[in-house]
Amino acid sequence: MIDAYKRLMNVEPPPPAKKARGFFTDTSLCIGCKACEVACKQWNQLPADGFAMTGNSYDNTGTLGATTWRHVEFVEQAKANSSRQDQRWLMMSDVCKHCANAACLEACPTGALIRTEYDTVYVQQDICNGCGFCVPACPFGVIDRAPKHGQFEAGTAHKCTLCYDRLKDDMTPACAKSCPTASIQFGDVEELQQRARHRLAELKARGETKAELYGMPEGKEATEVGPLHAFFLLLDKPQTYNLPEVPRLPRKTMAQRYGWSAAVGIGFALVGAMVFGGRR
Amino acid sequence: MDAANLLPPRGNFPPPAGNFPPPLAGEGQGGGRGYYNYPVVRRPVWTWEVPAYFWLGGMAAGAYVTASLAQTFGSSDDRRAAAGGYYLAAAALVPCAPLLIADLGRPDRFHHMLRIFKPLSPMNLGAWTLTGFTPVAFARAASHAANTGLLRGPLGVLARLVPSRLAELAGCALGLTLAGYSGVLLAATNIPLWAKSKLLGGLFMASALASGSAAVTLQAARRGAPDATLHRLAMLESAASAGEIAVLAGYLVQSGRTARPLTRGRFAAPFWFGAVGAGAVFPLLLHGFAHRRQGGLLRTLSSTAALCTIAGSLALRWSIFEAGKDSSKDQAASFELSSN
Repeated sequence: MIDAYKRLMNVEPPPPAKKARGFFTDTSLCIGCKACEVACKQWNQLPADGFAMTGNSYDNTGTLGATTWRHVEFVEQAKANSSRQDQRWLMMSDVCKHCANAACLEACPTGALIRTEYDTVYVQQDICNGCGFCVPACPFGVIDRAPKHGQFEAGTAHKCTLCYDRLKDDMTPACAKSCPTASIQFGDVEELQQRARHRLAELKARGETKAELYGMPEGKEATEVGPLHAFFLLLDKPQTYNLPEVPRLPRKTMAQRYGWSAAVGIGFALVGAMVFGGRR
Repeated sequence: MDAANLLPPRGNFPPPAGNFPPPLAGEGQGGGRGYYNYPVVRRPVWTWEVPAYFWLGGMAAGAYVTASLAQTFGSSDDRRAAAGGYYLAAAALVPCAPLLIADLGRPDRFHHMLRIFKPLSPMNLGAWTLTGFTPVAFARAASHAANTGLLRGPLGVLARLVPSRLAELAGCALGLTLAGYSGVLLAATNIPLWAKSKLLGGLFMASALASGSAAVTLQAARRGAPDATLHRLAMLESAASAGEIAVLAGYLVQSGRTARPLTRGRFAAPFWFGAVGAGAVFPLLLHGFAHRRQGGLLRTLSSTAALCTIAGSLALRWSIFEAGKDSSKDQAASFELSSN
């Protein structure tokens, strides 16, 4: 009967699982050229965001969004009356983290958000009904809903697909392909993690004491959302790049919240039984 | 032609004003701990339909539960007076599904909510609960109408077949889920104002039950229910209001500085005067004053208190919902929420 249902509903078996793919973004190599932003927009046919100037260094992109899936941040660190060594200009290409336990995926009520065979998180555009729950659920502020009456895929949720279409053809995602300094590296997550550990040790040996990895399985940022399949080598604290110290997964506290809610409801029912039952 | 006008506006962009001269990020002087003053999380895209639905759905559930409690435990007067709650529940549920659908980015795909059953997602759980509760509430209302002779003919015969006791039990379970999930839904996000405290679900549940029992009181007073019944309904409503105040106090304490967009921002007035003052404290005082009154004065006082509770419930949902959007811009609160 289940087979008949599957035939009727045209349910296909999922593609066989592949090795987990992801990005290792090494911010120590980033030169802020924004080639990743441009390549992403071109390949994914995302419209431009307008010509607003923020006044915040060279960052006129501002934030990730429905039509911006790579965002290069420019952190200007300068102290008055300090030596040149203390002045730093940090650059970092931000992207969807493709969390192992993704808050957006868990929030999605329609099943539009899925985990692909490459262990990435992907929005099925023909399923999403634009409920908007994934938007505030994401601890990184990545996923967004396109405006209801806009020209681009109106009303549904969008974010980095890790170039799912390119992965299907064994191609490197557009941003990694275009990165001129190998700051964005694409590959099997396990291998990238090894590479990242090696690179961190190298930088530490060179005196980059503040360097740290963000999104590794052993990091405290992975305690709730799990290892990030797009992870980073940072040159300062995560918060410098607007990354939360311990990104929260809403599911972790949900039972407790329902518990309080149920306690109030049961309390009301008991009071009601006493008020109506204890008449006379 | 200004090219920028051709493009859709983006939620968090342009960034908040006051960025010039640019503050220095990171450990540099002038800036905060984060990246300029940019928000960490995204601003929710939901609009007024959501708090309106939470309010109406909660009131429907509260009225249904109150009516069922009176049916099960009350005297014959209580049963007669409170049964109007079934009509109220059915009526309040009518706009609920349209409101939810109107808020979707793609309303034509509303049925995708029901293509899977995923209680892990409060949104999916809520869609299923509303889908289950609406027919139960309508069936119970129809059964009451048939039993009082209001609904005749073949439909009346059909409505008499509804097992009232089963409908009450199932309806109470579904109704309490409907009243209780909405706060959990908002809290199951990373918006600091909604997520910091664990009590938002309980707060919305208390508010829903207060407004639902108030709606029952209101119709009972208007239809001339006996004084004893009105006193009992007032006592139940007061218990819910008192519970709401207690949970709200806990919510504000747990939230701490994170609650500022609600307690101090532009939503301070609707929150303190609307939700707390007019919506919970004032009705409590009125019911307390009406405790030993009778007749017309009791009816007037009860109706006024009930109306205030109902309006306050809307003010509570709306102010917390809208203040949550301001809270999403609060970089420091986001960092506090995500630091263990």
